[in-house]
Amino acid sequence: MPSLVSDPTTSIVPVSSSPPPPGADNPPAAFPIRHGIRPPILRVYVSWSRGNLLQVACLRRPSEEDSGGDGAGGKVLEVRLGGGAADGEVDDAERRRIAYGSVPPFSLLQGRRNLLMAATATRAHSSLHSEWWQYVLEYSNSISNLLGAPSLPSSSVIEDPMTVLQPVKKPTYLKAAWHLLEIFYVDKMSSSWLPESLVDWLADYDCLLSKAEPTIHSKLVGLQNKLVYLQVIEDDPEYWEGISLALAVGWLDIVVKLLRLHGSYQLDQIDNRETENGLVEAVAVLASTMPRMRPDSAMGRLGQCYKNKSDFIKAWEKWRGQIAKLDCSAFWVQCGHHRTREGLRNLLQIMLGNLNNITSATCHWMELFISHFLYMRPFTVGLEGMRSLAQKCVQLKPETNSNGLMGLLNGILGENTEVVLAECSSAFGPWMVTHAIELLTAENDEADILLNEERYNLGGISINELHRLVYAQVLSSHPLTWQIAPTYLVSCPKQGLGLLENLLYKQPVQHYQMVLKNLEICRLYELDNISSSVMKIAGMYHWKHGRKGSGVYWLQQARDEVRLNRIAQQLFECIGKSVSDDSFKQWEGLIELLGSEVGVAGGLEFLHKYRDFKRSLQLVQDGSSTDAARKAVESLIQLMRSPSTPPRFWLPLLHDSVQLLNWRNRPLLNVSETNLLLSKLQELSTAKLHPDFGEADLPPQALGYVKLALAQNLGRAVLEEF
Amino acid sequence: MEKELATLENGARCCGWNYCGRRMAVGHADGTVSVLDSLEPSSPSFSRSSKWKACNDSVVDVVWVPPEFGDAVACICADGTLSLWEEVEEDNQPLTWKHCKVFESSNSRVLDLQFGVFATSLKLVVAYSDGHVKIYELLDPLELSKWQLQAEFQNVIDSVSRYGKPACVSASIAWNPRRGESQQSSFVLGYNSDLPQVNSPKIWEFEESHQRWLPVAELASPGDRDDRVHTVAWAPNIGRPYEIIAVATSKGIAIWHLGLNPESDGRLPTDKIAVLSGHDGEVCQLEWDMGGMTLASTGGDGMVKLWQSDLNGVWHEQSSLDCNGGQQ
Repeated sequence: MPSLVSDPTTSIVPVSSSPPPPGADNPPAAFPIRHGIRPPILRVYVSWSRGNLLQVACLRRPSEEDSGGDGAGGKVLEVRLGGGAADGEVDDAERRRIAYGSVPPFSLLQGRRNLLMAATATRAHSSLHSEWWQYVLEYSNSISNLLGAPSLPSSSVIEDPMTVLQPVKKPTYLKAAWHLLEIFYVDKMSSSWLPESLVDWLADYDCLLSKAEPTIHSKLVGLQNKLVYLQVIEDDPEYWEGISLALAVGWLDIVVKLLRLHGSYQLDQIDNRETENGLVEAVAVLASTMPRMRPDSAMGRLGQCYKNKSDFIKAWEKWRGQIAKLDCSAFWVQCGHHRTREGLRNLLQIMLGNLNNITSATCHWMELFISHFLYMRPFTVGLEGMRSLAQKCVQLKPETNSNGLMGLLNGILGENTEVVLAECSSAFGPWMVTHAIELLTAENDEADILLNEERYNLGGISINELHRLVYAQVLSSHPLTWQIAPTYLVSCPKQGLGLLENLLYKQPVQHYQMVLKNLEICRLYELDNISSSVMKIAGMYHWKHGRKGSGVYWLQQARDEVRLNRIAQQLFECIGKSVSDDSFKQWEGLIELLGSEVGVAGGLEFLHKYRDFKRSLQLVQDGSSTDAARKAVESLIQLMRSPSTPPRFWLPLLHDSVQLLNWRNRPLLNVSETNLLLSKLQELSTAKLHPDFGEADLPPQALGYVKLALAQNLGRAVLEEF
Repeated sequence: MEKELATLENGARCCGWNYCGRRMAVGHADGTVSVLDSLEPSSPSFSRSSKWKACNDSVVDVVWVPPEFGDAVACICADGTLSLWEEVEEDNQPLTWKHCKVFESSNSRVLDLQFGVFATSLKLVVAYSDGHVKIYELLDPLELSKWQLQAEFQNVIDSVSRYGKPACVSASIAWNPRRGESQQSSFVLGYNSDLPQVNSPKIWEFEESHQRWLPVAELASPGDRDDRVHTVAWAPNIGRPYEIIAVATSKGIAIWHLGLNPESDGRLPTDKIAVLSGHDGEVCQLEWDMGGMTLASTGGDGMVKLWQSDLNGVWHEQSSLDCNGGQQ
């Protein structure tokens, strides 16, 4: 499973749970296996189990001390080699839900791709292109829904004025990452209002930016908890800080809501604090009418939306003029409440795009980055300058420990597909990479070539195929998910079926249901070789474990003539040894089971004739019915003539028939029939020289008896015919 | 990350897993072999299902027979004998491990063996301590007792020259793991001996037209021909235009590419693309995953290392597991 070129420390499959520090040339740190065996270790054995599970057996070197024989001689452990989303935020059950849920959209998209490929000859490239883009968008939405429902604002009619932050379920990193990729790679609409898409993204996922350090979200949560206990809210610096924080990242509804909690709105105070209240309200109105370059305002969010850039620029300049005017207003002098005055003017400075005020009103560099779009570079379009801006923001607010989301954003802004994939892989695992590639290549021909070009170093496959193979291996590591691995493997044009064959071959055959499932997959993908192997393995397992009927059944399903013939041979050996009814009955059922399809196995033809012969022989045991005896002789002659009758059965057959040869009333065999049997006896003496010839378990005089009987019969037949 | 599956009895010397990794055979110093099973899909842990005395000396290696031929293991004993045991269950009789065959050899010891499945036949390659290799074929797919010697030769390229009798410490065999009716039988064999000519790993292929085994490639650079080979492993090929074989010598683990089409002289093109070092001391085992993309190695240093190639085809150590730790 190759890892990425640009960064050797980030592997496609995070095999090690403790990746080495970036840039280290040294081999990765060893992961200690806790097996509880006292050192020294004699030897370690490994075996790959399902998918990328490794079984490790640690054998202990015996020492003098434990001559008593107690203590373990070793331990066998199963080591799971990565393969899931990072930080353990998604538990196993949830991961399986996502794995199963993403199969239908993935296979739908693959099916549509194949249809479009087939249509390239007849339809215009541009129409195919836009159709494909629609499909990818649909796929992306399906996956996005799978990762968690969109966070909707509270639907309650009566809002609690004290609830400034809507309580929503904590979003997952996986969803945040997927959403980020969607914004940059799929959502065509967002190219003109990309900054606003990022503002919305931050509103949804700000809480994920950092675990250890405060974010605007975490500070507002702190403020929210404190609000109810505050008597004079505007005296508390945290109140003003909260408003500036919310304003800095464009959460205007929170800004307005908080401002309206200001004490000057209270009925008993409004007369004394008229100017102060006017200023608070003016700022609230300005904030709520901020022009935004976006299609429409997200539900419940304030601001005036403009779809057209020139309208937006006009409105923006007018709005900025109003702020500047308020900033210079004489009313500030009349505002007696110091904190209110300072707090409001700070808000105005933020809206005017003052870097110092903005920097202190944000916690994380990503928040500062978003503030830049809102107040300093409102006319930014597309990716232009975003990367250098991000770098500048990181310098102003350095991160102590970066998480995968920010690495991913950096890769996207740097327009480096390999880094994006590496980040997806190391932070979110193979599921993410496999599914995200569809987004990366949807609108980007360069990435499409990079990811879908076949490479000799990878054994002739593309990076895309490689990631699918890797993901399929991860899926096959778990008994509950291996069954969906084939969906991904068949989407791999070069090596998918090869891996699928190996995967199916390694499934145990002890459980009937499992074998059926295995065979169903083989049939679906036309893997006849493997289904035949699976059936042979199942057949041999049952044959050797005393379930001969099941064994024969599976070997017949496998059309394994070689083994069926050998089974037939074994049957002869058992039934050929004696005419006793007991042993015959024991095998008769099996012969029945072997079926009447003579073509399946040559030996079967003989067995069936042999059974018929034995049955007719039983009918003549009392020695009275000449008709029955004649039928038995016909069966005997047929058997002796048939090329499928093994020579080593000739003598036992004749020995069984001595009674027929010596039939009292009249000779049952004519001259030519008797001659045939005699010539077979002659041949037998040469056949005995063959090394494979097994001597039947007959009395030593058997040959003599048969010869004598044949000679007598010949004599009587000659006389009769004469 | 790790989960305990089984505790082995005191005196465990060697072990081997079956094709699906759900059964394990463990050889002990007292000559017994035990079989541990984990056949319930819901639980990965193993429990012992059988134990029997396979030989008088210590068991040094156990190898499972391919599943198309039943549940059976081959045991190599410290005295160099090789015996085959098969699990059978007859009507109303309890399950037993039946002795099927002993491969006798008067003056040399068995060092390694591997089974290969081809079309309907089962082949067995056995490497002996005198540098000779014997290839047996199973005559009856239902009877593990009936074997025929198909060929015997020394692991040397030049079969005409006579070499002295080497003293071999160990040998390592790996069949080409590709299944399929049309597949040519081929395997790689390397020795750890005092005779340089037998040491280097050679690829042996069965030539149908002349019914003989021919060396079609040698996996050694000119300067490394004398290197003693510790172990070899042939990667499963799920569709690559070349084969990958890993060879461990005292110089490290070499990764070889082997072309699929012979050159004019009948030899297959070889290319050593990497030499990986990392184990402190001898490499004991090499094991490819089912896609042939990750190589696991174990060493005398008690480490398990995982190796992968990057997108440029550069091989590197991906991860390592330290089994020397001990206490839980």
